[in-house]
Amino acid sequence: MARRLRIRVDYHRCVGSSICVLTAPGVFALNDRGQSAVIDPAGDGVEKILEAAEGCPTLAITVEDEDSGERLFP
Amino acid sequence: MLVQDDLLAPEVVRDPYTYFARLRQLDPVHWNERWGGWLVTRYDDIVRAFRDPARLSSDRMAHFQQELSPHDRERLHVLIRYFSRWLVFTDPPYHTRVRMLVNKAFTPTSVERLRPRVRAIVSELQDHVAHRGHMEFIRDFAFHLPVIVISEYLGVPPQDREAVKEWSDETSRIFFIRADDPQRRERSQAGLVKLLEYFEPLIHARRRHPRDDLISALVQAEERGDLLSHDELLATCTVLLFAGHETTTNLLANGLLALLRHRDQWERLARDPSLAASATEELLRYDGPVKATFRWARVDAELGGRTVRAGDRMLLVLASANRDPERFPHPDRVDITRNPNPHVAFGHGIHVCLGAPMARLEGQEAFAALAQRFPGMRLATDELEYHPTIVSRALAELPLEW
Repeated sequence: MARRLRIRVDYHRCVGSSICVLTAPGVFALNDRGQSAVIDPAGDGVEKILEAAEGCPTLAITVEDEDSGERLFP
Repeated sequence: MLVQDDLLAPEVVRDPYTYFARLRQLDPVHWNERWGGWLVTRYDDIVRAFRDPARLSSDRMAHFQQELSPHDRERLHVLIRYFSRWLVFTDPPYHTRVRMLVNKAFTPTSVERLRPRVRAIVSELQDHVAHRGHMEFIRDFAFHLPVIVISEYLGVPPQDREAVKEWSDETSRIFFIRADDPQRRERSQAGLVKLLEYFEPLIHARRRHPRDDLISALVQAEERGDLLSHDELLATCTVLLFAGHETTTNLLANGLLALLRHRDQWERLARDPSLAASATEELLRYDGPVKATFRWARVDAELGGRTVRAGDRMLLVLASANRDPERFPHPDRVDITRNPNPHVAFGHGIHVCLGAPMARLEGQEAFAALAQRFPGMRLATDELEYHPTIVSRALAELPLEW
């Protein structure tokens, strides 16, 4: 079974760089305020999601394993 | 006239905050006849503008070329060719492609690895001046730190740093507009040509023998099978080298000045260096290195109740957004524990400063170390002068003693 992830965006940090949307477009989209929103936590594989989180210039994205609670990023 | 329309008037250069606060109250999207564009001063309007790259272009060179005669276009063709490939002056899809290729090298995680080295450089720079009891902070400290850090990261050898710094400063003349320099376009191009001539063989060498540096990474950078063209590589090397110089110098100088003028905050940071990160954010907000940035309307657009016409240029005044009382409680107060602190000192949206994690790192290490090592540091004079430029907030000198 695919790993289930909990992905959070910190809106105090998100500056709408769009890096996450370009990296994992199945998971992230810009909302009507121009900030990142999670549209489907299973929309892309773990690798792309972690790449998106690491690529964020303001460390606005955190990723956890939904089942074990393990922090995957940062 | 609502307010003084000369953005380079001495009182505006000395204290842009009072000037822009008035505009923000009286006419937050203001047509400045003399400058020939809109001044946007409210936080919300500026953030909205940053989030709308589809309607507001960053293509500075397209507009710059229109202002030139055919003769000047020919004369400045190198400058036009490479500046029009600088990320900061481009729009999607070019911007998206190159930004994605370069971004990985500048994420908070990639840059965090440099922290021990940045700490060591800060310590060395302090050692050089500690016994003296005084320094001119810009010349003795704030100039050096960013140059050493970006040069090492890119892969520029130490013996070339001075020359590269000089060419970078020449290149900057066209941007940090100095009213007193009629030759600034030519000098800017001459500096750029030197940088290009410098990077050309370095890129070739790294292509043949890659090392653990950013030029090698750029040569190899591949995203979805895409590579940077040779021109794009050259342009990107020059912009990365250039972009962190003067801006970071000004971040360090303006930030230190703000701390020394708010003694309680300086003492607080000296007691508790774990505040370095939030202090750096607050200093960026309070008196950041970039006062404003440009956009051009592609189509007629509404902003803050005004209609901006296609082709109009606008100045998004970061210095004003960061002091907007609608967004920041007590905006004129320095509070190094302020949280949240969603300032726009690095811009916002797709063009948000690529080098921000590196600038933050340098600021954090420098402010904390200076407060620890020189708790008794004070200004040696109250007579401070700023360079007359519209876009940057740049002290001429910052003499200190301890």
